[in-house]
Amino acid sequence: MKNTIKLFSLLLITVLLVAGCTQAAPPVEEPEVSDQPLRVAIVTPSSMNDLAFSQSISDAMQALQKEMGEGKLEYVYSENMFVVDDAAAAIRSYAQQGFDIILAHGSQYGSSVQEIAPDFPNTVFAWGTTVDTFDMPNVHAYEAASDEGGFVNGVMAALLTETKVIGVVGPIETGDAKLYIDGFAAGVKSVDPEIDVRVTYIGSFSDVALAAEAATTHLSAGADVLTGSAQMVIGAIGKAKEAGAYWFGTQADQTSFAHDVVVASQVYHWEVLLREIFALRQSGVLGGETFAATLDNGGQVIKINPDLDLGQDVLDEAERVIQGIIDQTISIP
Amino acid sequence: MSQSKKLTSHPAKKRFAAVFDSFMPIFATIAALLVGAIFLLLLDANPITAYSALLEGAFGSFNAFAETLVKAIPLLLVGLGTCIAYRGSVTNIGGEGQMIVGALLSTWIGLSFTNLPGWLMITIAMLAGILGGAVWGGLPGVLKAYFNVNEILSTVMMNAIAVQIMNYMLRGPMIDPVQAEAASQIPQTARLEMAYRLPRLVPTRLHIGLLIAIILAVMVYVLLWRTTLGYRIRAVGQNQSAAKYGGIDVKKHIVLALLLSGAFAGLAGMMQVYGVNYRMITDGSATGFTGNAGFNGIVAALFGQLHPLITIPASILFGGLLVGANSMQRIVQVPSALITALNGLVVVFVVSSEYFRRRSQRKRIAFIESEDEGKPPKERSEGLGEAAS
Repeated sequence: MKNTIKLFSLLLITVLLVAGCTQAAPPVEEPEVSDQPLRVAIVTPSSMNDLAFSQSISDAMQALQKEMGEGKLEYVYSENMFVVDDAAAAIRSYAQQGFDIILAHGSQYGSSVQEIAPDFPNTVFAWGTTVDTFDMPNVHAYEAASDEGGFVNGVMAALLTETKVIGVVGPIETGDAKLYIDGFAAGVKSVDPEIDVRVTYIGSFSDVALAAEAATTHLSAGADVLTGSAQMVIGAIGKAKEAGAYWFGTQADQTSFAHDVVVASQVYHWEVLLREIFALRQSGVLGGETFAATLDNGGQVIKINPDLDLGQDVLDEAERVIQGIIDQTISIP
Repeated sequence: MSQSKKLTSHPAKKRFAAVFDSFMPIFATIAALLVGAIFLLLLDANPITAYSALLEGAFGSFNAFAETLVKAIPLLLVGLGTCIAYRGSVTNIGGEGQMIVGALLSTWIGLSFTNLPGWLMITIAMLAGILGGAVWGGLPGVLKAYFNVNEILSTVMMNAIAVQIMNYMLRGPMIDPVQAEAASQIPQTARLEMAYRLPRLVPTRLHIGLLIAIILAVMVYVLLWRTTLGYRIRAVGQNQSAAKYGGIDVKKHIVLALLLSGAFAGLAGMMQVYGVNYRMITDGSATGFTGNAGFNGIVAALFGQLHPLITIPASILFGGLLVGANSMQRIVQVPSALITALNGLVVVFVVSSEYFRRRSQRKRIAFIESEDEGKPPKERSEGLGEAAS
C-alpha cells in the first residue's frame, strides 16, 4: 500500500514539475468583434490525417489559410466525431464560443445542424455532403459529385485490368461513397460491360482490418485493380500494395501511402466551395445555398500518379473523359 | 506474522486501508490522467491547461454539467445491468447489442404509431426497449445456463449480430423516407413525433431519463439486497453448488441475471433515441449509435465497485470524463487519438484497480479470520460482515 502511494505521489510530482516548466498551450480564444480573423470550426467523423474524407477538408483549410494568411483565417477542429451525439455537442459548443462558420463535415450531422442552427442565427453552418439546407437562412449544404471522378477512375481501371476482375471496397451504401462507387462501376462498364466489378460494402467507416479482408477476398478472386471509398480503405490499399494490384483513390490524394500502385486519386478541393461560402458571409448571406464540387468548377481534380507507366492511351482516354464530363458530352448513367 | 498482517494489525491502519480501497477507482483515474499528462507533454500541450479544460468542459457550467449528466444516463443504466450480472457471477459484454435491439424495437413502435398520447407512447417505448434488451441479454443467458456456452463470447457475438440487424433496418425497412429518396441515403430513421420526446428537466439536453435511471438504481439495490430474487441471484453468484444445494434453481437465475442486465441496456438504447437524438442513427458501427456506452457502462459499474448506488456518482464522473475529454480536444486542439488513449488508460487503470481492491479486501478478511480464531462464533461473524461490506 505504502509503495502504491509513493508511486502515485512520485508520478504526480514529476508531471507537475514538468508541466510547470512547459509553456501553456494557447486555449481557444473567445470571439471578438467582426474585424477579427475569420474563425472557422470543423467537426469531422474521422481523423484529420485519414488520407480520405476528413483530410480533404483539412487540406482545403490549410490551402485557404495559406492563401488568406494566418492572421485572416483561424480554424479549429474536432476530429473522430463518429458518434453523432458527440458531434452535436461539439457543434453547439463551437457555436456558443462564437465561431463565424461551423463546418459539419459529415452527412450524418444533418439532424444536429437542423437542431442547433436556429439557436445561433448569426452563425454560418455548412454541412456536407448533402444538398439539404432545411430551408434555414444560416445553413449551407455542400456535396461532391464524386460519381464524376469515380467514372473517370472506372474508365482507367477498365483499360488497365488484365484479369477483367476489379474489386471495390466501400463503407456503407451511403453518401459520396455510394456515389463514387456507382460512378466507378458505370465507368468500367462503359469501356467493357463484361468486366466483373465486385463491390463489397463492409458496413463500417472505421474498420481498417475488415477493409483489408475485403480487399484480400477480391484479390483472391483474381482482381488486379482495386478501389474504395472512405477512411477505412487504408487497410485495402495496404493489401493492394502487397499484391502489386493497381489502386484508385478518392477524397484525398492517396499516392503517398502506396506510391507504386496508386494510379490516380479523385481529390476534393473544398476550398473552391469554401471561398464562395466565405464571400457570401462577407456580403451578409449566411445560408440557403447548395454547393457542389465538380470537375468543372475545380472542386474535384483527378490526380494521376506521374511515376507510373500507364501508357499514353490510358492517359489520353482519361483526359478525354474528364473533358467530356466537363463539357457534358459524356453523361454518367 | 506476515507483512500484510503487520500492516493491518493496527485498527486505524485497518480503517485507512478500507477507505483507501473504496477510493481506489478514483486514485486509478488520477494515475491514468497522470500518465496521460506525459502524453500531453510529448504533444507540447500543458497538462494543467488541458485538464482544466477537461474539468471546465465536464463541470464548468450549467450546460456542461447537463451534458455530463446526459452522457451519464446510458452509462448508469448499462452499469446497473452490469451490477446485476456481476452479482450473479455472469459477465455481460453485450451492452452494445442490447442497447441497439432495445432502441430498434422502441423506435419501430414510435414510428409505427404516431397518434398516441406522449406519456403513453413513452411508457410503451420504455417497455419495448426493456423487452428488446432483455431478449438480447436473455438468449446468451439461456445458452450459458443450459448449454454451457461462455457468455462473454456469446454476448460479444450478439453485439455483432445486432449491428448487422441495425444496419439492415436503418438502411432498409426503417430508413428515413427523405433519405430513401436522397442520394446520400444516410442510415437513419425518420424523426419521432415531438410529443414522444422524453421531457427535458431544464433548458438543456438533460432529460427525465436521469431521474428514471436514479430511481432504477435504488430499485436495483433493493432488488439485490432486499428481495428473495436478489438474494438468490447473489447466492448463485457466490457459489453455484451451495445455491443448488439450498434449493435454488441455478440455471433459471443465471438466465434472469443476464436478462435483467440486458433489459437495462435496452432501456438505455431507448433513451438515446427518445431523449437525445429523437431518431435512430448510425455510421454503420455499433459505436456510431451507442457512443460506446455499452462498454463504458461496464467501466462505470467497476468505477462504482459494482454497487448500484455507488454506480450513480461513478457514472456521472465517468460521463464527465468523456464529455470533458472531448471538450479538452476542442480547446487544446490535441489529436483525438490522445482522447481515445486517455479513455483507454482510465479503463485499464480502473479495471486493474478492481483487482488490487479485491486482493486487499481478501487480505483483510483473511486477517480478521485469523484474528478471530478462538473467539466465540458470534463475534467472528460480525467481524466478517464488517469486512465484506
